[in-house]
Amino acid sequence: MASKHVGLFVLFQLLALNVVSQTSAFPTPTPASADDKTVYNRQLTEERPLQEQIAEADSVKAAVQSAESEQNHDDFTMLKSLAEGPKSKETTEVPAKKRDDQYIPDESDSTKSRRLAEDYDSTKNGMDYDDPESFRQIDGTPLTADAIVQKIANKIYEEDDRGVFDRIVSKLLKLGLITENQADTLEYKVAEALQDLITKNAKNNEIEDVDQEARGAQDDEDSDTNADTWEPPRRRYEEDEDEEDDEIEDEVDRDAEEDGDNIWDRDAEDGNEVSPEDGLQDLQYFPNFYRLLKSLNSEQDTQERETLITIMKTLIDFVKMMVKYGTITPEEGVSYLENLDAMIAMQTKNKLGKPLLPPEFTGPNEKNLDEDDNTKAEAAKMQKEYENLKDSTKEEQPSAETNRPGKSETYLEAIRKNIEWLKKHNKEEGKDDYDLSKLKDFMDQQVDSYIEKGIIAKDEGDTIKRIYSSL
Amino acid sequence: MKHFLAVVFGAALVTLVSAAGTDGAISFEYHRYEELRKALVSVWLQCPTITRIYTIGESFEGRELLVLEMSDNPGTHEPGEPEFKYIANMHGNEAVGRELLIYLAQYLCNQYQQGNETIIDLIHNTRIHLMPSMNPDGFEKAASQVKKQHPGEIKDWFVGRSNAQGVDLNRNFPDLDRIIYINEREGGANNHLLQNMKKAVDENTKLAPETKAVIHWIMDIPFVLSANLHGGDVVANYPYDETRTGSTHEYSASPDDVMFKSLARAYSMYNPVMSDPHRAPCRKNDDDSSFKDGITNGGAWYSVPGGMQDFNYLSSNCFEITLELSCDKFPNEETLKSYWEQNRNSLVNYIEQVHRGVKGFVRDLQGNPISNATVSVEGIDHDITTAKDGDYWRLLAPGNYKVAASAPGYLTVIKKVAVPYSPATRVDFELESLMERKEEEREELMDWWKMMSETLNF
Repeated sequence: MASKHVGLFVLFQLLALNVVSQTSAFPTPTPASADDKTVYNRQLTEERPLQEQIAEADSVKAAVQSAESEQNHDDFTMLKSLAEGPKSKETTEVPAKKRDDQYIPDESDSTKSRRLAEDYDSTKNGMDYDDPESFRQIDGTPLTADAIVQKIANKIYEEDDRGVFDRIVSKLLKLGLITENQADTLEYKVAEALQDLITKNAKNNEIEDVDQEARGAQDDEDSDTNADTWEPPRRRYEEDEDEEDDEIEDEVDRDAEEDGDNIWDRDAEDGNEVSPEDGLQDLQYFPNFYRLLKSLNSEQDTQERETLITIMKTLIDFVKMMVKYGTITPEEGVSYLENLDAMIAMQTKNKLGKPLLPPEFTGPNEKNLDEDDNTKAEAAKMQKEYENLKDSTKEEQPSAETNRPGKSETYLEAIRKNIEWLKKHNKEEGKDDYDLSKLKDFMDQQVDSYIEKGIIAKDEGDTIKRIYSSL
Repeated sequence: MKHFLAVVFGAALVTLVSAAGTDGAISFEYHRYEELRKALVSVWLQCPTITRIYTIGESFEGRELLVLEMSDNPGTHEPGEPEFKYIANMHGNEAVGRELLIYLAQYLCNQYQQGNETIIDLIHNTRIHLMPSMNPDGFEKAASQVKKQHPGEIKDWFVGRSNAQGVDLNRNFPDLDRIIYINEREGGANNHLLQNMKKAVDENTKLAPETKAVIHWIMDIPFVLSANLHGGDVVANYPYDETRTGSTHEYSASPDDVMFKSLARAYSMYNPVMSDPHRAPCRKNDDDSSFKDGITNGGAWYSVPGGMQDFNYLSSNCFEITLELSCDKFPNEETLKSYWEQNRNSLVNYIEQVHRGVKGFVRDLQGNPISNATVSVEGIDHDITTAKDGDYWRLLAPGNYKVAASAPGYLTVIKKVAVPYSPATRVDFELESLMERKEEEREELMDWWKMMSETLNF
């Protein structure tokens, strides 16, 4: 009996032990955290509204962002946070793609900021940009899909690099966040938006930007993309770009409202030759002269017409040559030509009703020796206008330059020295001619930032910009 | 053709821009604020790829404290590239330094474009900052004062010296000498004595805006070498400026006394007036007994508390000396050319001194830079720290040294180096973190345990 009791007792002990050991061996269930809940919920819903996904990834991104340096910004930061976020992502139309260029103050150099007491460590970039990639609109509401497409298109346009798009989409594909169909749709949409952007901006006479954009879009982009799957869409995209280029060129030609400065851009490298093809293009910058020409439409006037055109073109070339060789300053040349057209208008008006060809000329015979003799009349007429013009510029110049004759001259000299050195330097190193437009853009940028910081005055900055744009 | 041109354009149109000046001649004249600005902008326009203008803040009356930076990559600190600065005219009536820095900027730009190898190398390997005037308000006051008087008259010794608030900027810096002297006796940090600096500086109402701006500047850019241009005497002055005991004249050596003497001599020896052993003192009763070879210890000459020179040395890694460049504080314009001649070679040679001693990077075993690591030299009680890219520059006179790199959480590494006069010797450090070492030891232990258990069969 005792043994039975003992046995029972032992059994009981064993059982107790088992139970105890089991309970202690049992993993303690962790309290359900908020995160788990959301994960759980996430898995339940198949499709979540775009905005919710965006908001969620935003918070994830904010946590990830804090450690990143500025350089890694662009697409990859966002993609990383996306990858760490929810994997399920069925979206309706456009993938929840976000980019953020949060500029974390770079502590390297305070020379970019002139603030004294504040955070001296801001970078020169950080202060100037407004955040184009932020996820919310100005009033704080999350972005719509269309807005995202627009932002991507803007970013591509500004950065002049459609490889941006390729990189992002390829990453998203790799991570399995979007399907190929969605990627195609996105590409179409972005291409459309970009095309709109380009045409819109071309209409605003930003020709240089557009040229660069067109050139930039031609560049083959990086090797990150999945080669095979991406070839077709990219080729398609480039075809689109080509069409856009043609469009743009046409618009430029038809645009007759450029001011005289653009002459320099077009013909800066051409030397003195007046090529017959682009002859009229130069002249269209002189609307009044143009009208004058048009008025000489009758047959007997054709020759005079031709003469006038030739004279005018020659004059323009002379001005260019003078500027090029430094006999006059570019500003003088530009203002001279600007005034020329105005004078033509005035003279034409004055002579309205009177014959276009004044009967007599006391003017000397000097003119282009290459011209026909019977165009002497025209030459003298033009010359008379130039005389008047000469006087008007004489009046205008002092007022324009009283304040800083010395300063703009010094600046001009300095710029000239720089250009000379660049030419010589590049020749020595066997490079092609330095990229003037790049230099111009860079200088424009610097001038603007200097004006902002109070290092140079606004009118000085304008002078410098004008000098550069007339090179 | 020619006639046509002549008639069409005539005399009215053409303001012939003078072709003169293409030889790069510097015009030696005084520059007021606007002219100073214009001169710097012109240098920038001539050499935009190697220069950049920025401002570190405004003077009391709102004039920009302009700096012209020269380097092959202006605007960027390239890892390993030492930073150098010249500051002049902190006393507004001491005008020669201000002008010299303007001429120097023009000179460096011209020489660079003309292919001067020395200058090209210097600009490619250094980041040079030139601040012609730290006290533009004072200068305006002094300059207008000068104009009123007849040339040749003695100018007022003090008008325009201080800033617009009446503060002598070279007594306005936090006095770190006092702290270092206490630390020397009782123990404590031997450098970087101003902790939590920005807040303290901004809240200090006694600091002039010019002083604050410069302090921020010093804290933000890892300057290695610097000089501070003055007038009223002719000598190169080095730390410490304030005497230990408080007496008016006492040689007050810093831990880097040897190096400082070498630096000061590097300037004075190319200046014929400064290094002339038979030069008469500027004023009859001047005591220049402390001057030797054109250099002097600050305290030995006369005690100066709160000066910018010592502030540099004790709050940052930067070594600064003070250059007195003219007996006359605001000499006649005609003499400026000769001052330039006297100082041009010195100014360039002194910049080159930044490429001396040891330099390199402190990284961890994965190759990541360790910023703010301490680099100490045995026998010199003055440590420096690495900058953000882990780069450091330790100026040293020729000799054999043991250089140690340390950082919290890492094991210190010591290396022996033989340092020539120049160029700088490259010494890199790879520091093992304590965690890594612990890991290693743990692995060793595990290996040992495994072997033991296999052997003993348990």
